[in-house]
Amino acid sequence: MAILKPILYILVYPGLIFLMIYSTFCEWYDRKLYARLQNRIGPLHTGRSGILQPIADIIKLFAKEDIVPEQADKGMFTALPIFALAIVCTAALYLPVWHYTEVPSFISFPGDLIIVVYLLSLPTLIFFLAGWHSTNYFSAIGGTRVLTMLFGYEIPLLLALLSPAVLADSWRLLEIARFFQGKPLLMLVNIIGFFIALIALQAKLERVPFDIPHAETEIIGGQFTEYSGKKLAFFRLLGDIEMVVGAGLISAVFLGGFPGGLLPGLAWFIIKTLFVISLLAAMRAALSRIRIDQMIHFSWRWLAPLAVLQLFIVIIIKGMVS
Amino acid sequence: MEYKVALGPQHPALHEPISIRMTLDGEVIRDADLKLGYNHRGIEKLAESRTYIQNLYLTERICGICSFSHQTCYTQGVEKLMELVPAKRGLYIRTLVCELERVHSHLLWLGVAGQEAGFESFFMYTWRDREVVMDILDWISGNRVHYSMNTFGGVRRDIDDLQKKKILDSLGLLQSRTEYYLNLAASEPTFVGRLAGVGKLSKEKAISLCAVGPTLRASGVPMDVRKDDPYAVYDEVPFEVCTADSCDVLGRAVVRVKELIQSYRIIEFLLKNLPEGPFKVKAPRKVKENEVYSRYEAPRGENVHYIKSNGSDKPERLKVRAPTLANYAATIAMLKNGFIADIPLIFAAIDPCICCAERLVQLDDARRGESQILTFSQLRAMANERYKNVNFKKKDIAWPF
Amino acid sequence: MSIKIAPFIPEMLRSLFKKPATVKYPFEKTPVPPGFRGNVVFDPPKCIGCMICVNDCPAEAIDIIRVSETEKKFKMILHNDRCIHCAQCVDSCPTKTYHMDSEFELAVLNRHQLKIEYKKD
Repeated sequence: MAILKPILYILVYPGLIFLMIYSTFCEWYDRKLYARLQNRIGPLHTGRSGILQPIADIIKLFAKEDIVPEQADKGMFTALPIFALAIVCTAALYLPVWHYTEVPSFISFPGDLIIVVYLLSLPTLIFFLAGWHSTNYFSAIGGTRVLTMLFGYEIPLLLALLSPAVLADSWRLLEIARFFQGKPLLMLVNIIGFFIALIALQAKLERVPFDIPHAETEIIGGQFTEYSGKKLAFFRLLGDIEMVVGAGLISAVFLGGFPGGLLPGLAWFIIKTLFVISLLAAMRAALSRIRIDQMIHFSWRWLAPLAVLQLFIVIIIKGMVS
Repeated sequence: MEYKVALGPQHPALHEPISIRMTLDGEVIRDADLKLGYNHRGIEKLAESRTYIQNLYLTERICGICSFSHQTCYTQGVEKLMELVPAKRGLYIRTLVCELERVHSHLLWLGVAGQEAGFESFFMYTWRDREVVMDILDWISGNRVHYSMNTFGGVRRDIDDLQKKKILDSLGLLQSRTEYYLNLAASEPTFVGRLAGVGKLSKEKAISLCAVGPTLRASGVPMDVRKDDPYAVYDEVPFEVCTADSCDVLGRAVVRVKELIQSYRIIEFLLKNLPEGPFKVKAPRKVKENEVYSRYEAPRGENVHYIKSNGSDKPERLKVRAPTLANYAATIAMLKNGFIADIPLIFAAIDPCICCAERLVQLDDARRGESQILTFSQLRAMANERYKNVNFKKKDIAWPF
Repeated sequence: MSIKIAPFIPEMLRSLFKKPATVKYPFEKTPVPPGFRGNVVFDPPKCIGCMICVNDCPAEAIDIIRVSETEKKFKMILHNDRCIHCAQCVDSCPTKTYHMDSEFELAVLNRHQLKIEYKKD
């Protein structure tokens, strides 16, 4: 019977079913906000005010024909979306949403911040493999662009996430969140890191201004060109869940986590992730796509030095506080 | 490692089918070639079996965005063939609709440039403001596209005072929005980073490759048919030819926005100085034997119609040279040694209207000196024969086979 | 024009509080302006049978048929699937027999429903 509880956590909350429902809700919220910023309506007719639209999109994709290119390796082609979805759902389990992570267990242990960042960078490698295995020149270009972007944003993201961990003296997400819940004013020390992490998260999610790998008007679909039907549905769901996990990670590390137990924790989770997603949607609406060489210039000229600066500030403040 | 890749005929960046065959080296384009003909409709042949009045509506449907430019160019040519002097008020109204079409086309282009660069919000906002112009055109002519205002000897409808007031009120709104877009597009760093330095075409190359329209004017060459060879009432209306010196896509955008501001001034002048009198004169049905060459400054460049008459009420030959056809050679020169990421912007910067440019070219065999006509079924048989002999299971098969 | 950071944001935030620019067609419809070119309408008593409209129509959408041997009475068949709504027939007719109405929702499921006959009973 003791094994039933973890299975329930993995499958229902905060596991698969909650993630899938909440990530489609977040996609609806993002699309509605993006549309309102552009003076238009967004999804309207499916469900009340269009809330069922992302689910309708995924159901429609499931019903479409699934085509595998003739020269592609069928096993790898099919396995890649499934692996990517599994990896991102596993990363979601480490977010400190509930009291059950009080005691160090297989879910919450010192060092789980590094595990989450590592798990979030694996889908990038899978996108490259997806582009490579599609045996299409445009997909290969998309795959190489994905890896080139990884060299740009991964280091600033890691450095920015490190700074609150250094301040809180722990690598465990639960303890970082609890530290900032206790001393809320110290959250302002990490404000540069917060913005750097937002920009790097936008690049990881491949949204404008960084949707270079699957730039629609240039290389059709990039690494997703040859995917259709259920596999494309998995990739879309992957994008949504990655957005929720990334937003959850940033709010756990920078904005003080989700205190209070089952229901208040859920409420804080929803409020803080929606706040981060609002900022991401505004960034998406206000900027245009940049070229890959401009992106690398930008991240090495501005993002990485600012992240190092943030680390220095944190070390100085830590010396003053303790 | 060089790959041969085709952009098109179906591609999200292109609004109409065209095939750009490129030789790529990583992300750099080494060579490019254009293949046309996906949109050919046989308009020049159709025009030979319809009367001059029926051809008014056929030429209008050569394109949707620059429909009035084709109709006006044709009407002017036929009026010269008939030796007919059109009514003055009709000419003013014709020029007014020409300028309104230029406004709507340039606002459309701004949105398309934003969408190709990835700046979707800009696209939504410019097209929202374009609706103001579409509603004005709906009021004046009865339709949002294909206005059909021209007839031989003037225009078909008059403008009353209520419509005049409506146009003048909307002009103020459009003027302020256009200036806002000029400021926005010039100071948004991600957008300027995509447009600046892309698709360079020097002044000498632009002239030698026969570029027309804003593509030419952005390289510093002040050539505009409205000033060089005035038609309608452009010799009475004060305006300036807009140029830019940066020779790249940003220059072309700046030229188009400056032309928008000039168009607002022209429209205001025309409305305030509209002469009284009839708006059309009676035109004959049969035209005696002659030929005429008629030019017009469409939003995309110089539009040319050649019409030959033979004494009956149907034309002998109609030949159309659309501005986009003249810009293709310049496009290929701009694509060489560019990045893949810049292809949509370079192509969009010439404002391609591919359906305008699909005309017939007859090729003669250089060795034997004879020309060949192939029917559609013969072409299909040739294609099936060629692809039957290709082995798709071969290891390193690459396109073209 | 200097480069600013995200200059589009103020306009976009203002749009959050304005009414969206979308027209929720088909639940709300904007009215068509006067002078809109909709369907062609024919008035049989005024027709004199000169056939100018048949010759001038670019789409060959008009057929004028004489209904009586003795009197000059005509009926008109309009092929609305060929009509391009250009209103040249309105301009060409010497007796002002035609005018345009304001209908624009003309889609039907059967092509033969678009053949409209105008005759005097």
